[in-house]
Amino acid sequence: MAQIYPIGGGKGGVGKTFITASLGALLAKSGKKVVLIDLDLGGSNLHTVLGINDQQGGINRFLDKTVKNLENMAVPTVIQNLFFISSSLCSMEIANLFHAHKLKIINAIQKLAFDYILLDLGTGTNFNTLDFFLTSNQGIFICTPEPTAIENSFRFIKAVYLRKLKHIVKQHSFHSAVKKAVIHPNHEAVTSPDIIEIVLKHDPDREMFLRNRLSGFKFKFILNQFRKNLDATIGDKIEDLCNRHFYSNFQFLGNVGYDVRIHDSVLSKKVFIHKYPYAPPAIDIKKIAEKIINTRSFIPVTG
Amino acid sequence: MKNFEGLNYYEILKIPANSTSFEIKRAYQDALSIYNEDSLVTYSLFSNEERGNLLNTVKEAYSTLIDENKRAAYDTILLDSGQIEMSITSIQNQKTPPHAHTSHMTDRDTVEERVRKKSRKKEVETLSNEILSRDLISGDDLKKMREAAGIELSEINAVTKITVTVLKSMEENRIEGLPPKLYLKNFLRHYAEILQIDSQKVIDGYLKHISSVQKK
Repeated sequence: MAQIYPIGGGKGGVGKTFITASLGALLAKSGKKVVLIDLDLGGSNLHTVLGINDQQGGINRFLDKTVKNLENMAVPTVIQNLFFISSSLCSMEIANLFHAHKLKIINAIQKLAFDYILLDLGTGTNFNTLDFFLTSNQGIFICTPEPTAIENSFRFIKAVYLRKLKHIVKQHSFHSAVKKAVIHPNHEAVTSPDIIEIVLKHDPDREMFLRNRLSGFKFKFILNQFRKNLDATIGDKIEDLCNRHFYSNFQFLGNVGYDVRIHDSVLSKKVFIHKYPYAPPAIDIKKIAEKIINTRSFIPVTG
Repeated sequence: MKNFEGLNYYEILKIPANSTSFEIKRAYQDALSIYNEDSLVTYSLFSNEERGNLLNTVKEAYSTLIDENKRAAYDTILLDSGQIEMSITSIQNQKTPPHAHTSHMTDRDTVEERVRKKSRKKEVETLSNEILSRDLISGDDLKKMREAAGIELSEINAVTKITVTVLKSMEENRIEGLPPKLYLKNFLRHYAEILQIDSQKVIDGYLKHISSVQKK
């Protein structure tokens, strides 16, 4: 069974694409069969970071039905065992994906035969991004130790959490008042505590079920561009705090050091960890890859 | 978002039950640095209201644990409810073990039993009958009945897990400190159950009182 790791985070420029490429490369180097999928629809970059000149297309050919099986669009990279599915030749309007197309992509991803599937997601909290993040019961968000990035990460977590909560209520039997409040709310801004309160009021027996479902969702996170003079415990603090105040599960995977050479490797379109395997960030990401390999696999997403 | 529901003061400050006062102070500083509004970690996580409630609870935990007498009383409650064990409480408590702690009084039921016994006195019953016959029941009325029975807020907290801050808000009619109505009703029910009075009357009377205060 493939392990799917969507890689997101609310803010742009925090290194989602860089981490996806590096993590994928290190998992592949340790003998796992890995595919990276660029789901930053309308803002695709992953091919460039991997040094691939995308000629043959990827998701676009799967959506226009010229290719039936998404797996056939996985192209090899300079690293053995590492494959890539591009979205850079998708139409200029692809960012506004049709719902049916979104489901088609999610279904196809869940059927891919790889050990690890990493999804590089776009910025922000639009429904496409959130739903791609919820393809799996575990996702990684990338953040940098700056107030702006942390703020956007919390926004992203809360948005994912609310959407997850709504999915759970929609897909399982709940009291009609709960369903109504989620599907046709009286006011626009229904929040997660609101929903839990409504469940407590109308369907108290289902509260434990809801909590269990939420706690089955694992958020993992990485602090990228970490500079030496910062408080090294900040990741642990965020992990502890989120575990205390959300019903879902949080795991801090580690800091990834800041290194000017990362910028250089992007400029030269070379995979950073391939070019500088012993640079501090490469070693940081290697530790994270080991943590991921040692995590036991989870049951696939059921809602 | 969850608050500190279900956590005791030691768990809130993330310290073991045998911590020294130095460790308690340090843990309090750590907690403040995390929950303060200029904290890098939380400034964008909580609303002002959520933050205010969390900080109040942290302060309440600190002020109880840092005061030797209050801490000893609190430890007794935790011991009786089986949340901590004799061997791990602070040294000062080990010297004078609370006499209430005997082998057959270790579970929560016995704390509850002990607290409830207090409200079975005759004069408490007369007072509560008088108060319950009224249409409006204020926080002061709740407090009067509780004090007549000789029950401490910390004892109600030990049995119901409602924080002392919220209990105080209820007794002082501080509307801004009260939880959403649904929770408030539940809290009032627990409160009434401890005093062994008609919970429905308490809920109706108190809510009426609160809405009459709001209209003014």
